[in-house]
Amino acid sequence: MALYIVEADCISCGDCEPVCPTQSITEGPVVFKIDKRTCTECEGDFDVPQCVKVCPIDNCILPLEA
Amino acid sequence: MSQNALSRELALRIALAARALPNTDSKRLLAVLSDCVEAPMTESKIATIALETFRQADGGALAQVDSTVLQQALKILSNTAPEKILPATQAYQDGDLPNSVRIACASDDAIHVNGHFGACAWFMVYQVNAEEARLIGIRTAEIPEGLVVDDKNVYRAEQIQDCKVLYVASVGGPAAAKIVRLGIHPMKLDEVASLAGIISQLQTVMAGSPPPWLAKAMGIDAGERFKFGQEAVG
Repeated sequence: MALYIVEADCISCGDCEPVCPTQSITEGPVVFKIDKRTCTECEGDFDVPQCVKVCPIDNCILPLEA
Repeated sequence: MSQNALSRELALRIALAARALPNTDSKRLLAVLSDCVEAPMTESKIATIALETFRQADGGALAQVDSTVLQQALKILSNTAPEKILPATQAYQDGDLPNSVRIACASDDAIHVNGHFGACAWFMVYQVNAEEARLIGIRTAEIPEGLVVDDKNVYRAEQIQDCKVLYVASVGGPAAAKIVRLGIHPMKLDEVASLAGIISQLQTVMAGSPPPWLAKAMGIDAGERFKFGQEAVG
């Protein structure tokens, strides 16, 4: 389980990067990206994913299917 | 004379005219105008000021200024309708400019992006693609008399809801969040820039490799977008 950032919607504001408890978010060459190997969807740290909470764009950070 | 004697209209026009003049703020222009006409200062008296009187007033404060600039300032001062100082808008129909985005710029003088979101006189609305830009609207966000709105900032943002990007000189945090919520991307400029400068800067970005959100706003399909190596999502 992990989240991903929709490339077409991300505005590269960077708000999500510092709030990630597992440091899974980094700035990629195009937009910010989430490392699916370390993303926990904040389980164990917070009730809701912190990046989704701070992201100013609706439906920009979504759960990765499969 | 007391500044309080000025009508709101005239005060606004003095401020706008001062912006059109180099190295002149409203206070300085007011000193010049006080020297041109007898108190109390009225709109009709201001409208009769001759170019040479204006130039030589207050010990020649504006003596070095170009005549065309002075004339423009006098024109701003004497016009009865503020609309007359605004540039003409151009016709636009959907589909005229392929791969274009609609942008709004907060302005107080119709020349620069110098407006605060919550207080600017106008939103200059442009349709822009990489080759062309058209001024398609000049909108005020004044709340009409009698209309009750819950939130002034939401009302203002709704006036430019068809725009994808909003350029402002300043905007507050909560207001910016409301703008984003309406699907408008606010851009706060570090320093005041001209409308033409902002548009050409945007056109450069559009002609190069626009960021994905902008490409999406331009209506370019994901498949056509320039790809930066193997950066798959996830």
